[in-house]
Amino acid sequence: MILALLLLVIALCVVLAGWAGWFVARDRAVILNQLWGGAVIEGLVLVQGVVAVVQGATGAGAGDPLLFWGYYATTLVILPVAAAWAFAERTRWSSVVLLVASLTVAFLEWRMWQIWTGA
Amino acid sequence: MNQTTGPDRATGRRTGRGFGRVLVTVYGVLAFAAIGRSSYELVVKFHEAPVAYSLSTLAAVVYVVATFALAIGTPVWRTVAWVTVGIEAVGVVTVGALSLADPGVFGESTVWSGFGQGYGYVPLVLPFVGLWWLWRTKHSTSARTSEERTA
Repeated sequence: MILALLLLVIALCVVLAGWAGWFVARDRAVILNQLWGGAVIEGLVLVQGVVAVVQGATGAGAGDPLLFWGYYATTLVILPVAAAWAFAERTRWSSVVLLVASLTVAFLEWRMWQIWTGA
Repeated sequence: MNQTTGPDRATGRRTGRGFGRVLVTVYGVLAFAAIGRSSYELVVKFHEAPVAYSLSTLAAVVYVVATFALAIGTPVWRTVAWVTVGIEAVGVVTVGALSLADPGVFGESTVWSGFGQGYGYVPLVLPFVGLWWLWRTKHSTSARTSEERTA
């Protein structure tokens, strides 16, 4: 895990959550641009996976690999599923779904860092 | 997921629409958390606390079924949702109370221990919100259908 990359992912999740929260307040449904934002985060999570594989192969990472990859798999799945689930609903509730999903990914990133560093 | 594209008004309000979409999302997240937790426990350390880890597995299965049942929301699945969400409500209250009375009762902690405090008490709140939502979307009347259209 690279801390800067992880912090970037968390920051983008918070921004996306804020954007979705603004849409909730304005009574608007999720728009495609927000899903593109989610896709950018998803891309970075994929990069994190590649980095973790390389680092893991060289013996880095103090935590339990099984636990780490369990969290990683969950993190990877949540945004695409939530995006599809949200986009099929054309009410403000779709924005709440995106808000929940973004904050969940941010939380899981933090947990992955804890596991990776053996905290 | 594609069940959501054809709203079936004859069966009342779909449990997976409107606020229900958020409910299913939170259920889905909790289902993921519970699956991850229980599969890790089953693989790595089941022998340490079989009762606790069996309970975690049961909870995981129930969350997964409840998520799909609420998402699909046809009459049969609505019944499945009532049952699974009901099991969660009973489970979290029972296991929570037992774990408070005797912290060592299950050997190790479970998703439901301490009323789900390890998960921000989401496991305690969610089944009751779920029961409320199932009750609220129960009646199929034209008034509610038009309410749904404007929602």
